[in-house]
Amino acid sequence: MRSRTTVAAACASLVASMALAACGSSGGQSNGASGPVTHVKGAPSWCGTKKITLGLLDGYGGNSWRLVTTASGKDEASKCPSVTKFRYADGQGDTQKAISDIKGMVSSGVDAMVVFPDAGKAVLPALTDSFKAGVVTVPYRVFPGGKAGTNYDKWIGDDFANDAVNWSTWIKQNVPNGGNILFLGGPAGNSQSTTEYTTLRKNLPDSYKFIGQTPFQPTNWDPTKTQQLLTADIAKYPKIDVIVSDFGPTLVSSLPLFAKSGRSIPALATSDGNSLSCFWQDQQATDPFKMMTVTTGNDNVRLAVDYAVAKATGGKIPTADSFKGPVFEDSVSQQPHGVQCRKDLPGDVYLSAEMPGDQQAKLGK
Amino acid sequence: MATTLEQDRPQLAAGRTWASKGLVTIGTATVILFVLSALLDRASVSGTSLSGMLPIAAVLAIAGLGQMLVVQQGGIDLSVPGAISLALVVITHVPDGDSSKLGVAVLIALVLAVAAGALNGLLIGTMGLNPIIATLGANAVLYGVNLQISGGRPRITTRLMGDIGGGSTLGVPNSVFFAIATLGLVTLVVKRTVAGRRFEAIGANQRAARAAGLRVRTHRTATYVWAQLLYCLAGILVAGITSQPTAFAGDTFLLPSIAVVVLGGTSLLGGRGFPLPTVIAAVFLQQLVQLVTVLGFSAAISPLVQAAALAVGVSLYTIDWRSILARRPRPPAAAGAPAAGTG
Repeated sequence: MRSRTTVAAACASLVASMALAACGSSGGQSNGASGPVTHVKGAPSWCGTKKITLGLLDGYGGNSWRLVTTASGKDEASKCPSVTKFRYADGQGDTQKAISDIKGMVSSGVDAMVVFPDAGKAVLPALTDSFKAGVVTVPYRVFPGGKAGTNYDKWIGDDFANDAVNWSTWIKQNVPNGGNILFLGGPAGNSQSTTEYTTLRKNLPDSYKFIGQTPFQPTNWDPTKTQQLLTADIAKYPKIDVIVSDFGPTLVSSLPLFAKSGRSIPALATSDGNSLSCFWQDQQATDPFKMMTVTTGNDNVRLAVDYAVAKATGGKIPTADSFKGPVFEDSVSQQPHGVQCRKDLPGDVYLSAEMPGDQQAKLGK
Repeated sequence: MATTLEQDRPQLAAGRTWASKGLVTIGTATVILFVLSALLDRASVSGTSLSGMLPIAAVLAIAGLGQMLVVQQGGIDLSVPGAISLALVVITHVPDGDSSKLGVAVLIALVLAVAAGALNGLLIGTMGLNPIIATLGANAVLYGVNLQISGGRPRITTRLMGDIGGGSTLGVPNSVFFAIATLGLVTLVVKRTVAGRRFEAIGANQRAARAAGLRVRTHRTATYVWAQLLYCLAGILVAGITSQPTAFAGDTFLLPSIAVVVLGGTSLLGGRGFPLPTVIAAVFLQQLVQLVTVLGFSAAISPLVQAAALAVGVSLYTIDWRSILARRPRPPAAAGAPAAGTG
């Protein structure tokens, strides 16, 4: 009996010491290629010489914005010949699937992964596991919590506060005497819409009042849900002066509700999309409204890919650590562009993206 | 086996009195809800609010009628999300903005719906698989086809589809007319035709129906095809109502489609179906969601409201409270339960 206990205790202490050793080795982790910066001739500076497999993961890939973003990510990776294999996975809005996708990529042997962590902190443990397994892990756009160097290599955010500053500047110029603002955001609690609201509130004086739920009306960026919420808002608030939305194209099916209620469409500060721009153009004859858009940020993924590939292949790591989307269209000042509608292209094309509209139109066909 | 027989009998016995119970209960509840809405916030019953609520309620009513047919056979259909999403993806993708191709798209959507229904029907009606497992699998298959066609990305609805599904006639959203027509058709077929009466008889008691020489297998298989056709119509309407629907837009209709059937008074154990109360329940549920939205409650309320409605519906119509209560004091229950069963 005694000898069996002793053996068990010895085994337990051996396992424990191995676990401790494993934990110890993960401290001060450095993923990717080490050594001097390398460069493949003719490729961008972030493209090093070590051959890698790159994974791109979406938490929810079910809309055209994501399709263009995914294609942009793939296009960016193709600029570097050292990326020999490219893999993609879509979590389809299911957090469990998003987590198992990340784990699956790690076990399939990718060297670097760029992840859109839609579920935020829920996927942090999976990201951390991936990072600790030595995979260069770069979450982008949505903040997953945690710290660079401990839970992942780097988070490449979109400077959403920058978008909100651009919107508030435009609102102050075009609706100068204050008014009622309705802010339509994404899924409840998402960090993007929350940051935007906080910045809007900070930059706009008290004469601008936020109506509806604060920080934002949660539309899930879904047109059907947007429509339901907006009908309730139009019914409830007789005066809406400005609508701010962080995904403009979802508004297209909802804006005609104003005309149905005998009201004019309020000023719109949002993000771009061909369907929205063409809707704006169609409305000019009957019910014109002011509109300003910031770029929807499809190119955020490019910076994340640059970073991940640079780190894994041994290329030059980019200095920028977040994507700043500029103003794209302004119907009033026409700066930097007037409203851009391309009727010959599908509505779900984003003319602000680096990828040309014609090329976007061919995606998913 | 003995337990299913015991379950069937009290349902049949009590079925006739429960028909009016469902209509009266949900009808009264809906009237009370609208009065309450007007009192709490007039905006929730304004024309604008109703013009937003009714189209979604109409879609829910049509999907609910499909689900009702399945529930009448003692089944449950979890492929509603896949079916609705596939239909709207076909309707947006195939024409790709060209209204002249809309007819072809509708035809393809209908063919796919029949195929999906036949798959469900084959698995459940013919091979006798559990409906939950079979329809859950079919849902995955439908999403597979959906992603194959769309890559997860639906196109923008054509102008014609937008006018038909999203437009209105004499101030009433067109989708409402589709819901009324579907209600009329389902009521007529189920309640006024020989096939419909046989269909209900099979749902009420399969063994008795088989003994009476009815073609149980054929009817049960056909149920799933009819249901899929109704989901398909619901999906087509969603495509019309929303100009750029997501490829997963059907997901939000699963729980409510079951809730409206149950609230309408159809027992989850099968048997008689109640089309009109099901449609009223769809209006009730959607108005309830609209009211909590107008009142400014958090987004979390909406699924809670749907779940609560389902719980209330089940407790009202499906659970046999009388026999449960009769069973509580142990000694008399031994004598009481069989009496209820044979009565």
